[in-house]
Amino acid sequence: MNNNWYDESRPGVTRRRFLEKLTAAGAATMLGGAPRVVASEKMGHPEAKADACILLWMGGGMAAPETFDPKHYEPFKVGTPVDKVISTFPAIDTAVDNIKIAKGLENIASVMDRATLIRSHYQADLGHILHSRHQYHWHTGYVPPVTVAAPHIGAWMAKVLGGRSDVMPPFITIGQSLEGHGESEELKAFTTGGFFGSEYGPMNLPYPEKASQAVKPPEGMSANRFARRYKALQEAMKNSPKGEGLSDYHQESLLRSMDKAHRLLGSKDRAAFDLSLEKKESYDRYNTGRFGRGCLLARRLVESGARFVEVATEYVPFYHWDTHENGHTTVQRLHKEIDAPIAQLVKDLEERGMLDRTLVVVASEFSRDMIMEGVPGSKAKDQSRAKTSVLKEMKHYGLHRHFTGGSSVLTFGGGMKKGALYGATADERPCMAIKDPVSIEDMHATMFTAMGINPKTAYEIEGRPFYATKDGKGKAVKGVFA
Amino acid sequence: MVKFVLSFYLLAAVLITPTLCANVDFAHEVVPLLKDKCIECHGGDKSKGGFSMNTRALVLEGDVLVLGKPEESLLIELMLTDDEDERMPPPKKQKHPLSEKEIDVFRRWIAAGVPWADGITFAKERYQPPLKPRKVKLPKGVTGAAAVDYLVRKTMGEEKTKAVSAADDAVFLRRLYLDVTGLPPNDEARKRLATGDLDRLEEVERVLSDNQAYAEHWMVFWNDLLRNEFAGTGFIDGGRKQITGWLYKSLLENKPYDAFVSELISPVEGSGGFMRGIKWRGNVNASQTQAIQFSQNISQVFMGINMKCASCHDSFVNEWTLKDAYSLAAITSEKPLEMFRCDKPTGKVAKAAWIYPELGDIDPSLPRDKRLARLAELMTHPENGRMQRTIVNRLWKQLMGRGIVHPVETMDLEPWNEELLDFLANTLVREKYDIKSVMRVILNSDVYRMQSELVKQKEAGKKFRGPVSRRLSAEQFIDMIRSTTGVWPKPDGNAFKKGARGGQLRVVMEAHGLKKWDNRPIRSVFTPRDLLQAALGRPHREQVVTNRPELFTTLEAMNLANGDALANILREGAVAMMKKYGKPDELIRRVYAVALTREPSQQEWSVARSLMGDKLSADGTEDFLWMVFMLPEFNYVN
Repeated sequence: MNNNWYDESRPGVTRRRFLEKLTAAGAATMLGGAPRVVASEKMGHPEAKADACILLWMGGGMAAPETFDPKHYEPFKVGTPVDKVISTFPAIDTAVDNIKIAKGLENIASVMDRATLIRSHYQADLGHILHSRHQYHWHTGYVPPVTVAAPHIGAWMAKVLGGRSDVMPPFITIGQSLEGHGESEELKAFTTGGFFGSEYGPMNLPYPEKASQAVKPPEGMSANRFARRYKALQEAMKNSPKGEGLSDYHQESLLRSMDKAHRLLGSKDRAAFDLSLEKKESYDRYNTGRFGRGCLLARRLVESGARFVEVATEYVPFYHWDTHENGHTTVQRLHKEIDAPIAQLVKDLEERGMLDRTLVVVASEFSRDMIMEGVPGSKAKDQSRAKTSVLKEMKHYGLHRHFTGGSSVLTFGGGMKKGALYGATADERPCMAIKDPVSIEDMHATMFTAMGINPKTAYEIEGRPFYATKDGKGKAVKGVFA
Repeated sequence: MVKFVLSFYLLAAVLITPTLCANVDFAHEVVPLLKDKCIECHGGDKSKGGFSMNTRALVLEGDVLVLGKPEESLLIELMLTDDEDERMPPPKKQKHPLSEKEIDVFRRWIAAGVPWADGITFAKERYQPPLKPRKVKLPKGVTGAAAVDYLVRKTMGEEKTKAVSAADDAVFLRRLYLDVTGLPPNDEARKRLATGDLDRLEEVERVLSDNQAYAEHWMVFWNDLLRNEFAGTGFIDGGRKQITGWLYKSLLENKPYDAFVSELISPVEGSGGFMRGIKWRGNVNASQTQAIQFSQNISQVFMGINMKCASCHDSFVNEWTLKDAYSLAAITSEKPLEMFRCDKPTGKVAKAAWIYPELGDIDPSLPRDKRLARLAELMTHPENGRMQRTIVNRLWKQLMGRGIVHPVETMDLEPWNEELLDFLANTLVREKYDIKSVMRVILNSDVYRMQSELVKQKEAGKKFRGPVSRRLSAEQFIDMIRSTTGVWPKPDGNAFKKGARGGQLRVVMEAHGLKKWDNRPIRSVFTPRDLLQAALGRPHREQVVTNRPELFTTLEAMNLANGDALANILREGAVAMMKKYGKPDELIRRVYAVALTREPSQQEWSVARSLMGDKLSADGTEDFLWMVFMLPEFNYVN
């Protein structure tokens, strides 16, 4: 057989043993065909005000009038016309004179002097409400469908800033299951590194109490066995005769990834994932439910070097914040779930001296209203399941329509002002953002700027630039920075 | 006069600059103006007055502006002057001076430090890809695979690339089976290898004639490219259709590529899901409507044309315009299609047209189905070399690791071997668009049998030095494991369902005329994209995907090291293998044979035995399996 028609040998190609080198190889990026940063020489990045970001995601549409932007309160009474109702909770005082929030959020009220409350956030009218589509927009800055897979903002942070520690994954999502309901596929579409690839994608921890399992050997495998198995692999690789037919960078990508994974799985930072190691007293303060435990996990992970952590009150169509009926009762429960943990998270970060360098953001894909879908003039279909013109029973009482014209974002730390209010919505329906409106692009630009990322940062994909904020046009809201 | 204007402007600048200087969008604001107003004389091969604006460096060299200071820049002064002899652009070229708004763009541009985007140049150095097929001169009697070798050798000789020798039979066999069927060489093939009876030409014929395995494997490639999936975004609102059944059947019967493409553009029963695009609930940006997705997708998939820029505005990275993008979109649009530039209405209505008039045109007054049929004709026109080159380039990449034009996304780039690309494209036409015939020519070449190139990453694929090792796809990885252990998954709940989603095994049964599934192996292509597959790079198929990841990532490694999904597959496999093989040595030999097509070396025997112990145990077997499946050698088609 004519095996050697080119030449008799392969001189010039040295068969190297690279395993020994590997430990010293460091963390040079090894991604072939990865998107290239579009170098715009004058651009540069702003000085970071925060090192880490925690996004507390109120999935399903948190009604601003029921939480951080209370309006005229109308108690439940049979026979009340629904258009009289704007808020179903009375307002309470907070630690800041001119800021009132909804009753039920007393703990958060007590730390309002550490917060900047943005009341003029608004979202695009997409004509017809699909939560996951709005969530996609909020999490990537782009409205789907998009021509390329858009990265999550956490992926941008992981990509541009890298990890804060050698072992801790930079981008972690908590509390949202990606399987098992009608919009799972849509959630998966944005809970991703997008075109940056899975190196920058999220480590997803749907159940905080089971998070430690994600960094332990598989169930039923002892740590010893786990270590022995890995050692055998290293041994086998050293002795694999045919491994020589592969380019080093291919081999190294596997070995380095495996090494990083095992370093995390063997590191003491692993303890951060284990909520059972938290002092009982502290654990109890957070333990209002899955979201509360998620907040605790987020604090532990950020303490151990995570860059971006998102904690969701899980989005499941028609559950939790997605109140299509019985809104008041549901929100009463949600107040209980979020109030103590959010306040505790802020206090804990402060106590540890971390609040100034950690940006905490509480946000949602849009707000809600008693009678209005979308915004005035929108063609969005009425999706309430408790349609009525006057209140007859408790299930009618609540904000059962999706409102995109004005919502609240609550921020703490990370270079934001303390005890400040930004923007406003109209007092009467429609409660549109009427003062200093903040779009999603601008909200992202604000978060990116705080984290030290230029909102115009672009990577080239398929020969075109793709920007951190749409077309590079997001502008940081100056008025919220201290 | 000039002076007067200048001082007047200085005053204005003080007032205007603070609010304006912060922002300029080079690609969307500056480039169109440069193109429209400046480049005719100061770009490409023209540099009037010795001034070229082809690149940022050249602009700065021209000494016409002061970085950050528009008010001190000659460029702005020349735009503002009333002196018609001085003014830019010159009145004889452009009747009207630039508007205040346009000049402001330049002011902001200078104020921002003349930002420029990587890769943008107005120089005329871009490779011009041919449209029509081109004849390739070959010595007498040199045809088929030999022609591939001849043409590659020509380039390699010219480039004095280090020569490489052929891979041994075991490497060749594993490569061939994985490339064509996605599975390891079967027992019979390995027997032929062991007894020295291996005939490479015969092996190629064998794998190519295993129609089912071929269809199951190449389905993965086509699903990515045609963004087909049996679950995913869009199904929730009926905004998406799958083409799984049509696609499987087409691959099974090796449908000629011209018919294949025709049916995707001008649909037959079951093939319409691709051209339909994905509809999300609610309004959609004008540049992502289904008609525009059609324009983008047929351009990208069938011709390696990036129409995505042009669907919003005239492209800055290639020659395609908004009008081109909308012309293709209008072919499929049910209603008159108004053109939007950057999501703003232009008031113009798009006219259905084909983008290469030299091949023919489309009568826009035809009804939609006739327009689509005509488009299918033009796309598969024998003179449309672009379409032919695009597919043979993709095939080459799948089999050789890198495209002849690389990356494969855009066929505008220069191939490393134009004649080879042309030859393969001609082969496709000569063989009546038979994809397997083109594969056969590649697989039978000596080039395909070369050892893989061994290079540093930054040199990878720069020159042709042999095939590039390609990573197993998520689906291949899992199928390889299951082939080794012999344990295949159970069908998922939706696999036999009728309806928009799922039903992926039902259509396979229909294609084979089966009444029952009967425990046939279920390849990963027909299992839902679980977290493990997602981590290993099976895309979500919301968009067209032309590349799978080549390297590993930390999150993947975590899934492999401690994820439940893989652990369960290994546990099941270990238990089944224990039952089948009495002694550790038998099992070890079997695993090395199937997974790596070889025997373990002396040292490997000892590592394996130390893991397994003297007696078979589930733990030991599971750990041993894991170890083998984590080897780079296992994870790459070498």
